[in-house]
Amino acid sequence: MESTVAAPVKTESPHTPTPVPGRRRKRPSTGLLSAVCTFGLLVLGCLFWHLGSALAWWSPATIPPLTEVTPALVEILGSGEFWGDAGRTGFEIAIAFVGGGAFGLLVGIGFWKAPTIGRVFEPYLVSFYAVPLVLFYPVMIVIVGINQWSVIILASIMAGIPMALNTWVGLSGLPPVYLKLARSLGCNPRQTMFEVALPAAAPFIVAGLRLAVVYALIGAVAMEFVTASAGLGFRIRYLYESFDTVEMFVYVLVVLAMSLALTFLLSVAERALLRGRAGR
Amino acid sequence: MSQPGIQISDLSVEFAGGDADPVTAVSGVSQEIDAHRFVSIVGPSGCGKSTLLNVVAGLQQPTAGSIMIDGKPVTGPDRRIGLVFQEDSTLPWKTTTDNVAFGMRILGVAKRDQQRRAQEMIDLVGLQGFEQSYPAMLSGGMRQRVALARTLAQQPSVLLMDEPFAALDQQTRILLGAEVRRIWRQTKQTVLFVTHDLSEAILMSQQVWVMSYRPGRIIDVIDVDLPDDRDASVVSTPAFNELQNRIWSTLQQEAMRGFVAESTAA
Amino acid sequence: MTAASVHTRRRPRINVPAGSFLLLLLVILLWWLAAQLSFVIPTPADTVGALVSNFGDADYRRHVEATAAAVLVAFLVAGLLGVLLGLALGLSKWVRIIFEPLVVGFNGVPKIVLYPVLLPIFSLSGSKIVMGVLFGLFPILINVAAGIRDMPAVYWKLARSVNANWWQVLTQIIVPAIRRPLLTGVRLAASLSAVGVVLAEFFSTRFGLGRVVLRAYGNGNYPDMMATILLLISVAFIVSLLLWRWERKTR
Repeated sequence: MESTVAAPVKTESPHTPTPVPGRRRKRPSTGLLSAVCTFGLLVLGCLFWHLGSALAWWSPATIPPLTEVTPALVEILGSGEFWGDAGRTGFEIAIAFVGGGAFGLLVGIGFWKAPTIGRVFEPYLVSFYAVPLVLFYPVMIVIVGINQWSVIILASIMAGIPMALNTWVGLSGLPPVYLKLARSLGCNPRQTMFEVALPAAAPFIVAGLRLAVVYALIGAVAMEFVTASAGLGFRIRYLYESFDTVEMFVYVLVVLAMSLALTFLLSVAERALLRGRAGR
Repeated sequence: MSQPGIQISDLSVEFAGGDADPVTAVSGVSQEIDAHRFVSIVGPSGCGKSTLLNVVAGLQQPTAGSIMIDGKPVTGPDRRIGLVFQEDSTLPWKTTTDNVAFGMRILGVAKRDQQRRAQEMIDLVGLQGFEQSYPAMLSGGMRQRVALARTLAQQPSVLLMDEPFAALDQQTRILLGAEVRRIWRQTKQTVLFVTHDLSEAILMSQQVWVMSYRPGRIIDVIDVDLPDDRDASVVSTPAFNELQNRIWSTLQQEAMRGFVAESTAA
Repeated sequence: MTAASVHTRRRPRINVPAGSFLLLLLVILLWWLAAQLSFVIPTPADTVGALVSNFGDADYRRHVEATAAAVLVAFLVAGLLGVLLGLALGLSKWVRIIFEPLVVGFNGVPKIVLYPVLLPIFSLSGSKIVMGVLFGLFPILINVAAGIRDMPAVYWKLARSVNANWWQVLTQIIVPAIRRPLLTGVRLAASLSAVGVVLAEFFSTRFGLGRVVLRAYGNGNYPDMMATILLLISVAFIVSLLLWRWERKTR
């Protein structure tokens, strides 16, 4: 397939799905070292933050001291308001991931079956991320009304596109011999799809799922942030506008921690799902 | 006493060449292989060996002619036929055992039998100890053994092999070739083996067909009168050399013709 | 490619660019239909009209200039920084071991939530540039690093065998070898730095198209809102498409 969007690189970008071959995993020892270093860097960051506040390198109005943020964090994590916001954001992300992911998978399969249609859509899909989709949020509100569904619909689109592209690229790159094997065994279409094609494209599909989660998260939070009435993103904006810097920092930290945890969990899940394959 | 294994009658295959003229890949081939015999096809690259094999396998419809296996016609993919491919066809998400069982699974063999037969085939191809390994951990030769075991586990009466060792290094080829012969002598399938390697063809088979450059015809059929329990040392015998010279004298012209045709086309 | 697939691959030829163009017309038609059904949605003609009259307004042009300048600066900074950091990450094993998990992790963070944190530090006009940089930085960084890591080992041997100095290695070997992932990174960086800037403007700024959209939405002036959205989308689309085509032509 000369016109697919795959580039032979490992990247989190939506249009350059991760190919399996050539992807070398670090040995566990460097993985452990990496983990230790990451932890060390995070500790160093906190130390720097604390020192900066203590030595008054910046004003507490700009960056509140760690000693104020930590107790506020504990307090907020115990509050119902926080869990309300987190629940709403989580719900939006979950629906957008499941809905957008499933839709993207079907579209990707469709494009594989009908490559000409895929190529007709390709320029638009590839350029979709060039468009600040959040711009459509006001349009969505005009159409759907002010509720979480306007967030969910846009976040689903953001999650669905990398999924569709990755699925398509993965299926288009199947070694022809797998399909020949399926045919020689007299596989029916269902068996060809579920026993051969989808598992063979799984590295791409799983990479697509990862991107779908990340983009559902980015999309949902960004849209809440810009204009919404609830959710973690909304709360950050609200606290900013009411000059509550300490609480705002807490929420920002929570969102950052949540995303980092999600990225980590996804890479663990990816490794488990693709157990045994080349270089894993 | 000899039963029919593979009967190819008056077979022709044409490809519509897009904008270009149609290409005749196989033209008027009529050949028979008795059951339990091992036949090789040699020919220059681009001569339609693989096309012929695909048609025998039922993967491709001929333009004219027909194929019979064990006296019954082939109309499409068929469980009497086992295919071994040139490319690595092991599925990277399955362990050796699951890969070997894959064909049986699709063909609907009972679960219990799958396990038992898979283990038998793994033992037969010498992969004991690698049952739980994934293909990524196996060498190219071992993966080809897995593919062979998968095909044998389907218990086909006919084995079609499309340059199965082409992607392997020389030493692995020789070793695996000897293995295939040993297994064949045990299981006695009817084998049609495609290769472009002359000595491999002679070393492996009881009969060699020489195919011409396009349109592909069988232009020579040579019986290999070498002992059944031959090993690689047979290559240094005068009988082997004589066979090789005879086949090469036919093949040489065709190879040249193909070379000229391909280079003027390009 | 086996002969079998040649045989089955015969399809009537369809002109793909023409198909893509038809798809665009179809979307415009659907938009027009939607506008007929719902009076809050402006028609395509009204939108284009609003866009044209907007450009007659000096104030509007000032918003356009503010956004364009911020995107350009953000893209250039993101590109430069991304290439440098990508080189470090791709070439040094230790840099990779120490920083890679955080880089990958941070790539998946909704960076917009950092905007209120940046505002008091970089001021209203600087923060949206920083936002654009944060958005554009990662794709280029990750693509450059991965491109270098996937370079065939024989290239390094070649470099050593001809005694190339580091500048020659960089310009004669690394850059040509990673040109495709590099271009992918550049395309994404161009797109994403624009997204970052507009998002930031959406939140809070003095001049910029993001603010124009939100203000038009607040005033219920939907033709104006759609006109600006259309402007941003068209420019973003065209730039991204051109870069994508260039990238595809690069082998």
